[in-house]
Amino acid sequence: MRNAVATLLLGLAALLPAAAVKAQDGPLRIEITDGVIEPLPFAVPNFIAETPAAQQLAAEMSRVIAADLVGSGLFREIPQVAYISPYTNFDASVNFTDWKAINAQALITGAISQSGDRITVRFRAYDVFAGQELGSGLQLSGTPDGWRRIAHKMADTIYSRLTGEGGYFDSRVVYVSETGPKNDRKKRLAIMDYDGANVQYLTNSESIVLAPRFSPTGDRVLYTSYESGFPQIQVLDVGRVQRRVLSSGSGTMTFAPRFAPNGQTIVYSQTDGGNTDLFAMDINNGQAQRLTSAPSIETAPSFSPDGSQIVFESDRSGASQLYVMSVGGGEPRRISFGQGRYGTPVWSPRGDYIAFTKQNAGRFHIGVMRTDGSEERLLTASFLDEGPTWAPNGRVIMFTRETQGASGQARLYSVDISGRNLKPVKTPDGASDPSWGPLQN
Amino acid sequence: MQTGTKISAAGHGLLITWALVGGWFQAEPLPIESQDVSIISLEEYERLSEQRAAPVVTEVPAAPVEPPVTETAPTIPERPQPRPEPVPTPPEPVDVPVAEAEPEPPAPEPEPEIPTTVPEAPETPQVVSELPRTAEPETARPSDRVAPEPVEAPEPDTTIDDVVREEVAPDAGAEANLPVQEATAPEAASDRIVTEAEAQEKEPTAPLVASRPKTRPQRPVPQETEAPKPEVETAAATPEPAREPEPEPAPVEKPAPEAEPTPEVESSAVNDALAEALAGGGEVEAPEPSGPPMTSGEKDGLRVAVSKCWNVGSLSSEALQTTVVVAVSLSREGVPDAGSMRMMSSSGGSAESAKQAYEAARRAIIRCGSTGFDLPADKYAQWRDIEMTFNPEGMRIR
Repeated sequence: MRNAVATLLLGLAALLPAAAVKAQDGPLRIEITDGVIEPLPFAVPNFIAETPAAQQLAAEMSRVIAADLVGSGLFREIPQVAYISPYTNFDASVNFTDWKAINAQALITGAISQSGDRITVRFRAYDVFAGQELGSGLQLSGTPDGWRRIAHKMADTIYSRLTGEGGYFDSRVVYVSETGPKNDRKKRLAIMDYDGANVQYLTNSESIVLAPRFSPTGDRVLYTSYESGFPQIQVLDVGRVQRRVLSSGSGTMTFAPRFAPNGQTIVYSQTDGGNTDLFAMDINNGQAQRLTSAPSIETAPSFSPDGSQIVFESDRSGASQLYVMSVGGGEPRRISFGQGRYGTPVWSPRGDYIAFTKQNAGRFHIGVMRTDGSEERLLTASFLDEGPTWAPNGRVIMFTRETQGASGQARLYSVDISGRNLKPVKTPDGASDPSWGPLQN
Repeated sequence: MQTGTKISAAGHGLLITWALVGGWFQAEPLPIESQDVSIISLEEYERLSEQRAAPVVTEVPAAPVEPPVTETAPTIPERPQPRPEPVPTPPEPVDVPVAEAEPEPPAPEPEPEIPTTVPEAPETPQVVSELPRTAEPETARPSDRVAPEPVEAPEPDTTIDDVVREEVAPDAGAEANLPVQEATAPEAASDRIVTEAEAQEKEPTAPLVASRPKTRPQRPVPQETEAPKPEVETAAATPEPAREPEPEPAPVEKPAPEAEPTPEVESSAVNDALAEALAGGGEVEAPEPSGPPMTSGEKDGLRVAVSKCWNVGSLSSEALQTTVVVAVSLSREGVPDAGSMRMMSSSGGSAESAKQAYEAARRAIIRCGSTGFDLPADKYAQWRDIEMTFNPEGMRIR
């Protein structure tokens, strides 16, 4: 009996280590589900001037890149005073330890040279903690007066490598510049870099202009002009500053135009006999086609990126709401069902969201929703927010914010689609009705 | 005979304990994670690695890329000269509603009618142990940083650091013979993104979830009946321990110490004890001690440590939908070996988004492990190789 029990125990004891080893076999596995959302710290030392003539540009270029990245809200620049080792040689290997010590997770280095009327810029981006380069180094060249565009292009490349999605820094915005008091406001079309630099005016302030819209390639602008006394759509060639009236027919009012993704068709609102409907027009031959026929007001149309659908606002249900319809026709489908009134919908260039203006309880909001109307989220709230426009990468929205009172002024603001990084866009005067153009070639 | 009985009892006891604790003495269920795995071939992985490692810093950058900057350089002409335009005709007032043309004044929208029927007056307030959920948690405030745990804004002069330290002024340091140091505190953080619209919402005083009205009016009687309840519970509870002392007198000495650890047995503690016991037996055979398994607390510590550095703020929307599994080997000091790090699998996104998600995960492991993760040295064999799954699903909705 004793022997049997002892044998049994010994047998069990012999099995135990094997079972234990089996239980601990393989690597330890853990799951991380909580992280942090904060700007990624980066360092960008002043670029190295390889020729004396490039001395000033070397510093300015690195500043523009830093401003682009910081302005996106996704990155945070580490002040240069915190740098441990000076950056003196573009071709030397990087001492990652020094940059790790100041918690720089990305490092951007560059060198610039100027020869005659041409500047050449080389730059590299590094993942400091991985101790390796992010993509390949690039070299760009251009004229000295185009140095800001070169800097924006570099920032776009870095942004893309760090986030995995396209940038938007090398883009322009057309908007309505506003000067003067509210009861005598002068409006004219203006174009600027996305960050408010290089403002140029496209029209004078003799007549009211409204709602400019960039073409998909950024070479033309549609807008509504009151030059003839009533609203008419005009198209303006940005390069030559030549314009022509697109709508025809005396007495018909056309407004709220927007290009189709093909750049040849436009969709707009036209008022005939007191009723406003949507129309499409081929801008080459001027032939118009009616898209809606309802006693209600249909306006503010915007194409989906693939050009197959149009989102617009309509008061057919009593209050202004958002609807989606196929370009080929068919019954529009209502997508907004929240409280208040919805307007000025704009389809994201990525096709995933629709931005809109919402008025509810005496306040205006800029919001986004899925293209089926779900996941509505209000990003802003103020006395008057309206007219959203998407950045080329579909991550940032620019809009008009007007302050209250007789001295109230319209300004441009931008916000990330998550609702973070709400900030004003610097413009020399008042500004409204922004339209964000595509990335420049 | 008594000896045989004792041996038999001990053997049975061992068997019963074995069966209760988990059959084959598994410290914890083996991780059975069902996950879509996209297998990357060695060639593909090397190709991905080559792309990052390709450029050589010390050499002049590859072929100069001639961007179309100069060719397509700003086509914007100089400021257009004000052309002589016809005499401006003041715009006539238009009756047509032009939604885009003229923004409607922010006239207050017709408010929804206030219901004329007032809900019945609530009954006498009662103290409820569970407070209803309110709309805005106190921590929901705008902040640049979104972290799992909200952090109050530190004092203006405080240096931002993960480690909290109190300031030691030169004078105080001299008196107490302490090194002078600056005050440090973690950066302020919110536990979710708060948009301007949400921040401006009035903080609701009413709960989102209304407590159900009572079916019966409150009467004094229930109070009397409620009061005895605890007594009943305690009365029910007390007899049980009361029974224990009765059988105890006989085996007073030995059963008592055994019974002490068992009352609040945590699975990890049992596993630890078992693993410790088992480790002794395994030492003989295994060339390197595997050590006891990691407790859940130790795993949580590692998870929290990595979470602090897992920054998804700069990830693309697609990368935020991508889950990656990263394998890493640690040194005995708990420092990750960057060379050993590799992406085992990914799901929910494209190869490009997986690459971005993997890089963010890699940064998190390297950054927070640079000084070594705080892991038990005697269990090195348990945590030498780790597979970390980075799942950002919960971060998307913040």
